[in-house]
Amino acid sequence: MFTTKQKITKWVLTIVMFTAGLISIYPFVFMLSSTFKPSGDVLSTPFQIIPKNFTLLNFETIFANEYFDFVQWYINTIIMTALVLIFKYVVVTMTAYGFSKIRFPGRDAIFLVLLGALMIPSDIMILPRYIIFQKLGILNSMWALILPSVVDVYFVFLLRQAFIAIPDSISEAAKIDGCSHVKVYWKMIMPLAKASISTMLLFSFTWSWNDYMGPYLYITDIDKQMLSVGIKFFSTGAAQDYGAQMAAATLVLLPIIIVFFMCQKYFVEGVTSGAVKG
Amino acid sequence: MGKRTKMKLTRAEKQEAMVGYAFVLPYLIAFIIFTGIPFISAFLMSFVNMKFISRLDNLKFVGLDNFIRIFTTRTVYEALGRTVLYSVIYVPVIMVVSFVLAYLLNKGVHAVKPIRSMVFLPYVSNMIAVAIVWQIMLGPRGPLYMIQKMFGAEEPLIPLLSPTWALPAVVLISVWKSIGLNFLTYLGALQGVSQDLIEAAQIDGANKWQQIKNVVIPSVSPTTFFLVISSVITSLQNFTVIQGLTGGGPGESTWVMSLSIYNYAFTKFDTSFAAAQALLMFAVVMVITLIQWRGQKKWVNY
Repeated sequence: MFTTKQKITKWVLTIVMFTAGLISIYPFVFMLSSTFKPSGDVLSTPFQIIPKNFTLLNFETIFANEYFDFVQWYINTIIMTALVLIFKYVVVTMTAYGFSKIRFPGRDAIFLVLLGALMIPSDIMILPRYIIFQKLGILNSMWALILPSVVDVYFVFLLRQAFIAIPDSISEAAKIDGCSHVKVYWKMIMPLAKASISTMLLFSFTWSWNDYMGPYLYITDIDKQMLSVGIKFFSTGAAQDYGAQMAAATLVLLPIIIVFFMCQKYFVEGVTSGAVKG
Repeated sequence: MGKRTKMKLTRAEKQEAMVGYAFVLPYLIAFIIFTGIPFISAFLMSFVNMKFISRLDNLKFVGLDNFIRIFTTRTVYEALGRTVLYSVIYVPVIMVVSFVLAYLLNKGVHAVKPIRSMVFLPYVSNMIAVAIVWQIMLGPRGPLYMIQKMFGAEEPLIPLLSPTWALPAVVLISVWKSIGLNFLTYLGALQGVSQDLIEAAQIDGANKWQQIKNVVIPSVSPTTFFLVISSVITSLQNFTVIQGLTGGGPGESTWVMSLSIYNYAFTKFDTSFAAAQALLMFAVVMVITLIQWRGQKKWVNY
């Protein structure tokens, strides 16, 4: 039985935590409601959550803009992110399988080297990568963002943990029945590790979609740009047009927020149950 | 050891090994091209006098000159100081707040799932997009400005435009953005804390604070250890946060190492100097990690 005191404590804690939650999402509420206000109303006091003068004018400002092709940035970002996910889905899982279910000389030593790379700050790589992209001929193309994203040590590590947790007896039995590694990997391990793989894909989606430094450094043509860099241009250009700036921010965040609310389970449980230990 | 096992490999084992290499090869190639070679070349660049990206003639080994220059160039050593200050605020704040939030949530509240998702939402959002929102919210006539007016401030503070407050404001926004990951990680760890231990402490007459201090915190110490290291690394990778919010200004008040490295590499074409600055940052991460690694025996319980 819960005592009255316990009940009160629970409600007090709920209020405290809910306040923390509200602080976390307040900027999004502010953004979303400002998106549908005329620019003059964005900073009106008191703050109106539901716009008094509802308008879609801000979207018109964005899409009818002659300097910036927002739609093109959107398409670029969608294609780039989709390719990143496809590449990572295949390469990262294959690698995790190799490091967990197949024995080969040097396996653990190589894996240790990979783990060491987790500590390298990305800043150190920006310049040499620029030169390499130039040499490979992928500078100023989305491949400069896609190919390096495959080198995701963090998720190779997490998926390897997930694959190790799947008992070897399952794959051994299949192998005795004449199944090859390719078959065990694709038909047995991949379906069994679906939850972990979904977590990887969701995180990778947000990372690629939100990446700013990559396109900022390696893409120069404005029509090849990605959304993150695009809205920065746009917000600088539309300096005082707060409504349009908020609408642009909403357009960038919308896909992320939708995916997040549809798949919160994988995000949240992926982290809470994650193999994060020492 | 390696040689002996190699010689003893049977045919089946050899075949198995070939399949193994085939599975990891695509990744290893990408790793070598996009991480291995860049890291080694950044290392080598730091000790020569390379200017511009394409000019490789007249290369000379200059020893530690580039590193000495870091400490004799005012804008750079000041950027280094600011970077340290950034981390010194960021890491404790994010660690303490995320632990407290996770602890309270774990104590039992109503609507656990919605609250969890609300706190996590900023983590998945786009920094540049939310930076635009924050700029307006903290800007002239924004909510913060109006609150200050309400309390009678003559000239309300606009944090991102104030040389004193810009850096702390950027750090706090960065904490807001990233706290979800630490929070959820702590939540997972707290769910694993043995209820028996807490009950035993209660029977021994430990009060709430003693329970937290002597049972809960030691139980989640491996997670704390991991999170401190990853938060230090995150705090150094602040290029996007700062570009989005202040671009290094006002004046130089948020000019940190990540911007300095970028500036020397891509604007001033002082390639080797930029590489040396980046290498120094890596060395700092290594040293902090090593210190923690050696110190962990004292406070981390597995």
